[in-house]
Amino acid sequence: MNLERVVFGFFVILTLSLNAAFVAGGVETAAHHNVWILTFTIIVNLVAIGLKLGDRSQTGALLLASGLVAGLLLITARIVWIVADPEGGSGPGPGDMADIVSIAMGALVANIIATVILVGDTLLSRR
Amino acid sequence: MTPTSDLDRVAMIVLRYMRRPLFVLLFVYSVGIMGMALMPGKVVEGETTHMNLFHAFYFFTYTATTTGFGELPNGFSEEQRLWTIFCLYTGVIAWFYAIGSLIQLVQNPHFIQAMDGFRFARKVKSNAEPFVILCGFGDAGSLLARGLSDHRMRAVILDADPERIKALGVRDYTVPMPGLHADASAPKHLLAAGVEHPACRALVALTNDDDVNLKIAVMARHLNPRLRVICRSTSARHEANLRALDNVTVVDPFEIFAQLVSRAIARSELHNLNAWFVGTRGVELGAPVQVPRGNWILCGYGRMGRWIHRNLQAHGLDVCIIDPEVDANQVEEGTAIVRAHADHAALMTAGIDDAAGVIAATNRDADNLSTLLSVTELNPQAFRIVRQNSHENQVAFDAARADLVLQHSLTTARRILKLLISPLVQELIDWLAGREPAQTRALVARLKAAVGEEPPHLWSIRLVPSQAPAVVDYLEEGGSLALGPLCCDARAFPARLACEALAVHRDGESIMLPDADFPLRVDDEILLCGTPWSESMLQATLHNPYTLHYVVTGVDEPRGYLFAWLDARRRRRGAHS
Repeated sequence: MNLERVVFGFFVILTLSLNAAFVAGGVETAAHHNVWILTFTIIVNLVAIGLKLGDRSQTGALLLASGLVAGLLLITARIVWIVADPEGGSGPGPGDMADIVSIAMGALVANIIATVILVGDTLLSRR
Repeated sequence: MTPTSDLDRVAMIVLRYMRRPLFVLLFVYSVGIMGMALMPGKVVEGETTHMNLFHAFYFFTYTATTTGFGELPNGFSEEQRLWTIFCLYTGVIAWFYAIGSLIQLVQNPHFIQAMDGFRFARKVKSNAEPFVILCGFGDAGSLLARGLSDHRMRAVILDADPERIKALGVRDYTVPMPGLHADASAPKHLLAAGVEHPACRALVALTNDDDVNLKIAVMARHLNPRLRVICRSTSARHEANLRALDNVTVVDPFEIFAQLVSRAIARSELHNLNAWFVGTRGVELGAPVQVPRGNWILCGYGRMGRWIHRNLQAHGLDVCIIDPEVDANQVEEGTAIVRAHADHAALMTAGIDDAAGVIAATNRDADNLSTLLSVTELNPQAFRIVRQNSHENQVAFDAARADLVLQHSLTTARRILKLLISPLVQELIDWLAGREPAQTRALVARLKAAVGEEPPHLWSIRLVPSQAPAVVDYLEEGGSLALGPLCCDARAFPARLACEALAVHRDGESIMLPDADFPLRVDDEILLCGTPWSESMLQATLHNPYTLHYVVTGVDEPRGYLFAWLDARRRRRGAHS
């Protein structure tokens, strides 16, 4: 067992889980989506990116790329939330909420790809 | 005089053939159109109308091509109808004549050949994959093409016999193999076949005529001095000429055949290894044929027989020769000769009863097969080696159940294939031939342990950035890498992959059977034998720096900066305390 793999696997899978937790629910309903979960997802995703810096292998490069894509989309979603809900009151309206959730869904795809690569690489190396 | 290309020739033939029909068409069209325009049409409001030139052309076009829309744009007068009859017959006849000429042109043999040459040259020119030029598509040539196709190597084929090129068209090769019916010794055809093409790897001259082969080799040397040439030759005079040229490898089918026969008799373990490498049917590694010791009878003393005799003598075997036309002066003193065809009586005279074996090596398959029958009857224990001349008689030779059937076109094709695909294998076999048999047996034992019962998979890797980036980086950073660790299995460290390194080629020299602690350098070429699976595993080691680090040290290196920093800190601390 390799400590680095444990730590990295933890952060990648946690990003995926938090991302899924955020997008679950009605697309336009602000009450179904928690802004705290979105913020945590961004932080955990950034940690996963940081852990992958310096990897010279091909799979490492691919994991870094998918992490960057997910981070970019999640941060965009968070910015849209800030713009649409300046007072921090009842949350964004249905139109803005749909934008935020669909962008976060895009990030979810990138996170699924990262997890598949991670699991596949680990299974192929079989040690 | 300016040089002409195939395209110029095609254009010239088309123009020459089509000149007259085109003139006829032009003449008939002009007369018909002008006549139609001049013919008086229907009288409208007291004035005679005329068809204008464009309408006349329109009318003639649909009439001459027998489309016949009718009387357009207006109804015709009687004069116009008369002229229409004339237009119809002349126009249709002119068209038939033109089309007939065109069909004749397409069937013209010169035209077909010029078109074939043009297409062939274009196909070769646009090809970017590495390829081999193969001159001569006979028995050996087609076997070689099949072997190349199995190794996904392209070939460009030239043969003077159009039937052979037609036969090429119906083969199911895995890669495109363009062929042209042409005299390969003409430099023009060699150029069309891509002798100067940057992707051309080698030229193989395999025609049945030694003179033609010599000519091809010389032409190719002049056209592209850096191109490797492999040339079939059976005469000593030509061989001396060819060996004087550098970059030319001479392949003598008789010599190769004789070498195989004598090795099968005197060095059966080496013959077994070689047969296993080239993938002969039904060969099991480490189970060589048991060849009895004693006197041998050689039937047939032509060019092939002479080579076999010389090789057997070099291995210290006694030989009795049966041949109706053998000259006593050609044979050394002390060799028994029976001057007859190899029938019952001749075999009895040669001492078949206590002979260890018989080699039927005449150039006629029927004679060889009948000799086999006589031997089976007279001495069933004798070891029977037979030469098969024609590929077509395969079934008869399979049924004859000789102990060893050797076909010289096949042995030649295999040798050339080895030279082209993995030259190190042949070097290894020749190197082993010059050593003690125990060394071969040790190698066979190693291979059996590594590869097992599976058929061999031979491949070579070169330690260059494109093929082994991780290894090159590692070596250039000052790391030392031995052959043993490189062949470790990253999934089950420190177990070895199912492969054995057979040879290392470095700076033009070959190191045979290197040890596990043999240090590697950048630009080495390594020949490996193993399973296809082990090749892909080794590929991972060659490309991934972490896998390489793991197989060398057995420790998983930290990948990201953070863990590398933590690791370094822990180590520093460990050093302090």
